[in-house]
Amino acid sequence: MAGAVGGLISLPAWANGWTTETVLTTRKILSVGQTELLAEMVETIIPATDTPGAKALNVHQFVQKMVADCYPKTAQENLNKGLDSLNDLAQKSFSKPFAQGDTAQRTALLTQLAQSPDQKEFYSLVKNLTIRGYMTSEYVMTNLTHYEFIPGRYHGCVPVPQKAASQGK
Amino acid sequence: MSYFNIDAQALNTYDAIVIGSGISGGWAAKELTGKGLRTLVLERGRDVRHVTDYPTTNKQPWEFEHRNQLKQEVREANPIISKCYAFYEGTEQFFVKDAEHPYVQEKPFDWIRGYQVGGKSLMWARQTQRWSDFDFEGPARDGFAVDWPIRYADIAPWYSHVERFAGITGNKDGLATLPDGEFLPPHEWNCVEKHFQQKVAAKYKDRHVIMGRAAHLTQPQPIHFQQGRAQCQHRTICERGCPFGGYFSSNSSTIPWAAKTGKMTLRPNSVVHSIIYDEAKGRATGVRVIDANTKQMQEFYARIIFLNAAALNSNLVLLNSTSHRFPNGLGNDSGVLGKYVAFHNYRAGISGEYDGDLDSTTDGRRPNSPYIPRFRNVLKQETNFLRGYASGFSAGRISRSDQNGIGADLKESLLNPKLGGWYVGSHMMGETIPKESNYLALDSSLKDPFGIPQLKISIAYDDNDDKMVKDYQEQLTEMFTEAGFKNIRVRDSHAAPGLDIHEMGGVRMGKDPKTSMLNKWNQLHAVKNVFVTDGASMTSTSTQNPSLTYMALTARAADYAVKAMKKGLV
Ligand SMILES: Cc1cc2nc3c(=O)[nH]c(=O)nc-3n(C[C@H](O)[C@H](O)[C@H](O)COP(=O)(O)OP(=O)(O)OC[C@H]3O[C@@H](n4cnc5c(N)ncnc54)[C@H](O)[C@@H]3O)c2cc1C
Ligand code: SF4
Repeated sequence: MAGAVGGLISLPAWANGWTTETVLTTRKILSVGQTELLAEMVETIIPATDTPGAKALNVHQFVQKMVADCYPKTAQENLNKGLDSLNDLAQKSFSKPFAQGDTAQRTALLTQLAQSPDQKEFYSLVKNLTIRGYMTSEYVMTNLTHYEFIPGRYHGCVPVPQKAASQGK
Repeated sequence: MSYFNIDAQALNTYDAIVIGSGISGGWAAKELTGKGLRTLVLERGRDVRHVTDYPTTNKQPWEFEHRNQLKQEVREANPIISKCYAFYEGTEQFFVKDAEHPYVQEKPFDWIRGYQVGGKSLMWARQTQRWSDFDFEGPARDGFAVDWPIRYADIAPWYSHVERFAGITGNKDGLATLPDGEFLPPHEWNCVEKHFQQKVAAKYKDRHVIMGRAAHLTQPQPIHFQQGRAQCQHRTICERGCPFGGYFSSNSSTIPWAAKTGKMTLRPNSVVHSIIYDEAKGRATGVRVIDANTKQMQEFYARIIFLNAAALNSNLVLLNSTSHRFPNGLGNDSGVLGKYVAFHNYRAGISGEYDGDLDSTTDGRRPNSPYIPRFRNVLKQETNFLRGYASGFSAGRISRSDQNGIGADLKESLLNPKLGGWYVGSHMMGETIPKESNYLALDSSLKDPFGIPQLKISIAYDDNDDKMVKDYQEQLTEMFTEAGFKNIRVRDSHAAPGLDIHEMGGVRMGKDPKTSMLNKWNQLHAVKNVFVTDGASMTSTSTQNPSLTYMALTARAADYAVKAMKKGLV
């Protein structure tokens, strides 16, 4: 699957982890509108700074795929319902659809979700998968956390480096 | 089913037949072909060739569609195999799915299997310790099971034989409970593991923490290069198959070696139904095989037969090999076939933290970890339970990031994890006692997809095991406390037997044909040309991992079988 950039030439070369194409191999559980909203949500959680944010890394596609394939039905319902109510909540809190809020407004709304008894499950599902998708994306692992596939060594006692990079399996 | 004419029969006749191509079958194939026997290796699963059939071995983490998590539908369809820690998106292809080979759990038992060329040798965790006389003398001394017909001295040269070929890393520790072997250089310790080793050594004369012994090429020798294998690169994703041949598997080592002799015929997709016993000749003459693709039954013939289908399946084949002479299973004059099954107790674990050595950390990865050999009831009975346990141990440092925030702050903290303190952990590997009430039988009505009776498994933990869990937790807590570890937490997974994947017995060795199935050469007392050399043959289980012992017993039995054959004894 990986490496299949498909027809999405607009994607930068490093974003070949998940594409619309790989997500399409899965049962679709979100409408186009919901998918766009999810993209805005993951981007709010991990935004572009001097490096790409979650949306450009297709993390919203990853979240959708994981929930469709690896989670029980209840998680899918949560995701659907949560996304459907997000624009209403945005209207109430800043009188605009979620996507049109500015960073501060969106951030405030999501922070509020994290505390809301009805919404916190939906929010933590999306947040956890966003972190996981972002941290295990090709871009982050090759450019930012410098994952080594073949370390070729084990040293048991080395001085702690000045800046520790995470090393997962 | 003898519809064959004489030519077909001749074509289907070999010097030897090996049933199963896993850890032990691979050794049978290598040794028998190496001694010039035309050998047919029957394997119920598909062929898996070294490197070319390891589909996930070179995949980067982000190349797994689900980041190695199992799909919900896979988990729901496979409640048994999904419990195995080594079963994930990158290894699904090597494990038996629940529906492929149903069985009856008279008591809960998680049967973990790999049906393919290489068997479970592809996915195993590669820990390889010799057994000692404390293990082989155990039953005679402690009064359980029956006396082993062999002692450490009988098998020691065969341990050396297989260690040199397989490539075992380890340190010569000079311990009576854990004899040294032919070792490649040991893996490196980290500072906290060393610290624990020293603390334990200072407090207890009879407790040792040593570097694990494992089937990895830390420094390949000419014999390993001749196998086409190379130095282990510390990727620690071995269970996906290793393109370097860095660890020992049948696929990287024994099977291609046997193939090179030109004497081996490997027949995958061949489910052995039973062994054929010829009453007139008073010997086994061959095996009945169901072709997995066509479901047709076919017969193959040979002078000697090695049964290496892995412990429970070897029991199944013998139980299903009935004849007028052996109505209760081949060689089962004693009635003990299928009984006295035992396993290892992996239920308990302990974890903790350590806040010393904070200026040091580790670099790279290590496909191995330290090991604490058995220290309970070794020289005398000192507890209220029989036998003892060995333990794994390891330490490491984790980086953590604060995941509470959102936005640019969250991103910043994710990308700049803080190195936390050291974590330490251990798990127990307890010896369980073979008992008559832990048995296997054939279900009288249920069949598997090949029309073979389903195996009924009736195996459970007992009071001895519960006491051992408690003692492990207490003793390790004491040792962890002594080492200054904090936040110590013990657990008991209460997992059912089976997940340890060290099932043994049912076709046990022994001196007396009235109470055992096999003699000291792993030969059926009653059918001298059938050898069972996998875990089914174990009289008791020891606290060490078992597979190295299966390899050594197999090589030893093959040597005997060929000599006996030449003398006309089998
Ligand atoms: C995740 C994991 C971790 C492990 N870790 C360790 C460890 O660290 N140390 C250790 O010592 N052991 C370990 N083991 C256990 C080890 O893998 C087994 O002990 C070993 O593979 C047993 O060897 P075997 O030859 O008896 O069986 P297998 O290797 O399982 O091979 C049996 C073969 O027989 C075939 N077969 C079965 N029935 C039939 C039939 N009717 N006809 C034809 N073919 C048949 C099977 O398809 C299979 O290929 C581990 C296992 C797993 C899965
Ligand atoms: S740790 Fe060694 S044996 Fe395991 S996959 Fe890596 S190179 Fe191969």
